[in-house]
Amino acid sequence: MSGTSVVNALAVLLILTSMLVVETRKLQTAAYMYSIQSLVLVAIFLSLAVFMEAEPLYIWSITALITKTFLVPYLILRTLKKVGIQEEGPALETSSSIFLAVGLVALSFVVVEPFHMHAVLKLKVALAVSIAHFLLGLLCILARRNALKQILGYCLMENGSHLTLAIMAYNAPETVEIGILTDAIFAVLIMTIIARRLFKDFGTLDTDKLTLLKG
Amino acid sequence: MGENILFYLPAVPLGTSLLAFGLRSRRMVEVVHFAGSSIVALLSLLLAQYVLSGQTLLALNGMLYADSLTAVLVLIIGVVGFLDGFYSIGYMRYNLAHGEVDERGVCSYYGFYHILLLTMILSALSNNIALMWVAVEATTLGSAFLVGFYKYKTSAEAAWKYVLICSVGLAFALYGTILTYSNAFAMVQDAHRAMLWTELVGMARGLDPQVMKLAFVFILIGFGAKVGLVPMHTWLPDTYSESPSPVSALLSGVLMKCALFAILRYYTIALQAVGKEFPQTLLLIFGLLSVGVSAFFILVQPDVKRKLAYSSVEHVGIIATGLGAGGTLGVLAALFHAINHSITKSLLFCTVGNVALKYGSRDSQKIRGMFKVAPVTAFLFTTGLLAVAGSPPFNIFASEFMTLMAGLQAGHFWPMILFLIFLVIVFVAFFILIGEAALGFPPEDLPRGDAGWLTLLPLGILLVLMAGLGVHLPAPLNQLLQSAVSVVLGGEI
Repeated sequence: MSGTSVVNALAVLLILTSMLVVETRKLQTAAYMYSIQSLVLVAIFLSLAVFMEAEPLYIWSITALITKTFLVPYLILRTLKKVGIQEEGPALETSSSIFLAVGLVALSFVVVEPFHMHAVLKLKVALAVSIAHFLLGLLCILARRNALKQILGYCLMENGSHLTLAIMAYNAPETVEIGILTDAIFAVLIMTIIARRLFKDFGTLDTDKLTLLKG
Repeated sequence: MGENILFYLPAVPLGTSLLAFGLRSRRMVEVVHFAGSSIVALLSLLLAQYVLSGQTLLALNGMLYADSLTAVLVLIIGVVGFLDGFYSIGYMRYNLAHGEVDERGVCSYYGFYHILLLTMILSALSNNIALMWVAVEATTLGSAFLVGFYKYKTSAEAAWKYVLICSVGLAFALYGTILTYSNAFAMVQDAHRAMLWTELVGMARGLDPQVMKLAFVFILIGFGAKVGLVPMHTWLPDTYSESPSPVSALLSGVLMKCALFAILRYYTIALQAVGKEFPQTLLLIFGLLSVGVSAFFILVQPDVKRKLAYSSVEHVGIIATGLGAGGTLGVLAALFHAINHSITKSLLFCTVGNVALKYGSRDSQKIRGMFKVAPVTAFLFTTGLLAVAGSPPFNIFASEFMTLMAGLQAGHFWPMILFLIFLVIVFVAFFILIGEAALGFPPEDLPRGDAGWLTLLPLGILLVLMAGLGVHLPAPLNQLLQSAVSVVLGGEI
């Protein structure tokens, strides 16, 4: 199997795991799913590093492993421990959100079609997947009402842009990677802190109940 | 010193915030805060002076950079940031006296205030487009605690919406950044050069226009969310109304401009890479939409602070309209309006802080007869509202008029008629507010008397700036603006 087909196969696996994150009702399970899906992302980084001989991606895989596979799920699970296990009601039926998700994946393949840059030609599938990933994260935020689920949605978007970054800009200076990763971790940390405050104030993490401010 | 200013500018707020977090006493932290923010203001003036003398400053292998466009933004951050910070002292003392916050809370307030200054300065100075994104995202995170500063339920709700929507928006901007970078890298095969804005401007004409169009759309959605362009503005009225008043002033007056200037950097690249039609049309549409939608909300919204928040959406729309009209006059109008809005909106948000402390409410139905209760505050409030509504002889009138002229020059006749109608609606809305709040009879039981000098003096300075810029544009500022316009239009680097 050629290098690109390994990457492309892994990229498909990425879509499957992220759909699991979006669709899983139990937040604890969704956090574990996110951890698994970050592991797939790390595997993609590693295979890109091998096949494209992209040295910087080795470091990326290590930092991604630490932050995305362990740190982010840990932050989510820690918050869950504080607020108690939450089951979320659907804002959108599973069937229709899967339908939407498939539509978004198709859309991403259309979007990457006009790209002619040499660097991405061989990895078009992976690039489409990364954009699809980004959109799935957005869908998760819009279609799910639980604050922690929305944080996971944001993390999916981050993973999507990180994959795009790895495909299109792996040779960018390391400072850039460090900066973007630090921002992402701080964003998740701050969002979980605010989510805990929401729970303290409103007694729920259902963001549909946040209706004090209007107009 | 020259290049060293690029280091001093972020170093001072960093040191100040670390000190503030370490302190436990109000007195000490006020001294540290005042000293820190005045030094930043002086450094910003110094930077403007260097740039005016024709220097372009570069440091850290080209990562940090200052041209005349940077200098305009740094001036806004330094001077308006200082005045909002000055007002914070009196405002926080009042909060402390009324048990809204303890001394430790006051210290962390100033700590976060300077973290926000730091991240804003970094976003202004970064030449590396990825670090510019990192800095702008960091401003959201740095200000999250200031937004959720009070212990109310509404503060938590506002902070949540703020962080979530702005972070999601900025994820779009990151995509735009990556697209721009890989586009440039494909051309020059040099990772370092493809990241630097100064280099990108030089190679813009060779970039793939299809990819650059997509990148610009992502940038406009992403940073546009942070700026508050309709329809990405939904977090803004909540955030601006629930934050402590000096923070609202800082968010609207200063922070918004940081994201705006990031858009401006990409506007420059897009103008050359894809021609002016595409970016200008997009900006004109978003601009007019923002002015139009906010005009109606300003008219019907009873909460005074939310009215002002929607007015920020309106003014961002005006700036976008100026950029959409394009040309030397359009860009000049946009930059001048950015400065004018910073001053005027800071004045208004802080004044409303005083008003709300006095009346214990932000509801325009309950605020009556301000002239009889607190004449100085009433004077500040009335002139601020007249200015923000666009009446002569204040500064905003001048830049709005320039925007209109630029639009007509570019041949957008009907859009400009629409623009004018929206402005009239806003004018009427604020005129009604003046009639209700400032005139009339105050509630019987309300004690008379103005706020203390600490909460009035910084507002007086803002008022002088606001009125002064309306009648006379000082030569150095004019020169700086002209040179910034040529930077935006890609004329000289």
